[in-house]
Amino acid sequence: MSRDSHTVEGIARVVRISDGVAWFEPEQTTSCGHCASSAACGTSSAATGGGNGIGSIARRIELRRFPLEATSGLRVGDRVVVGVSERALLKASATAYAIPLLTALTAGGFAQAVFGDDLTTMITMAAGLLAGLFLARLAAGALGRRGELAPRFLRYAAPNETCHT
Amino acid sequence: MKEFALMMIGAALVNNVILARFLGLCSFMGVTTRIDTAAGMGMATTFVITVSSMADWAVQHYLLDAFGLQYLRTVTFILVIASAVQFTEMTIRKVSPSLFQMLGIYLPLITTNCAVLGVALLLVEGKMSFLGATLFGFASSVGYSIVMIIFAGLRERLALAAVPRLFAGPPIGFIVASLLAMAFMGFSGISTS
Repeated sequence: MSRDSHTVEGIARVVRISDGVAWFEPEQTTSCGHCASSAACGTSSAATGGGNGIGSIARRIELRRFPLEATSGLRVGDRVVVGVSERALLKASATAYAIPLLTALTAGGFAQAVFGDDLTTMITMAAGLLAGLFLARLAAGALGRRGELAPRFLRYAAPNETCHT
Repeated sequence: MKEFALMMIGAALVNNVILARFLGLCSFMGVTTRIDTAAGMGMATTFVITVSSMADWAVQHYLLDAFGLQYLRTVTFILVIASAVQFTEMTIRKVSPSLFQMLGIYLPLITTNCAVLGVALLLVEGKMSFLGATLFGFASSVGYSIVMIIFAGLRERLALAAVPRLFAGPPIGFIVASLLAMAFMGFSGISTS
């Protein structure tokens, strides 16, 4: 991914087009698989036989496919640059991770203050975590309805363009 | 309350996971080229470390200690951490597929992040209560996130600086990291009186 002042960009490949909707698969953008230990790393696709079995990088990337309205001229195999706003990325992170953590810690702190017992605190904290996940689901739904989480098609990627260029 | 606050400040700043304990250096160098990715990785790691701290405390207390299986601690914690990452991945996918598409890429990296295992082993050695262990995990990971974001900001500035070719890339990154670690040593002089 590269970025200007407002948009986080990433490269994706068109894997399917049907009914005016193009399905994109993001190219691997992490440092994982690029380091000197990638051949021996348990999270690399090579470690799982290079296939798309459960837990493999290929499988994870397949699960991250996303649809966008197919613009004219888009064909299967095309590499394109898609982007989301930097603000949306931070909002998404806060929604997914901060809300459940805050509810869990608040519930745990309350239980410890009232009961002072580890087992009760643990159960209350787990309940707080579940409640937070429910709230996160509602918040993510609201963000999704406003279209804040959807990536946008920006341009076709240059032949040698990667997420590191 | 004061005990918890001091313990959290100590875990986040004084004994910072990255700069004082030298854990999680792979992601520290690998995912800090931009502030947004560092923040995303930091939040994901904070969630996983906190959840795995809760699970690790329960496993240590009700399984390993109860049945005299302390020698299985490391391998058990690795299993718990891998499960916590899988749990997080599945949960985010169920909570919101859109969020998963944006954030799911960070999660596989956390499985191999030694900071997660390091924090789990530290909280067991500390013989803390359940809430103390969870807050210790949370504060340690907040410290990790703070350093990741600061370092990403420095590297964004470094990308625009005229660095001699000999030091370009990781070498200047390590020099800056060492200066950052020295700056964080200043927190060890905090007085509570």
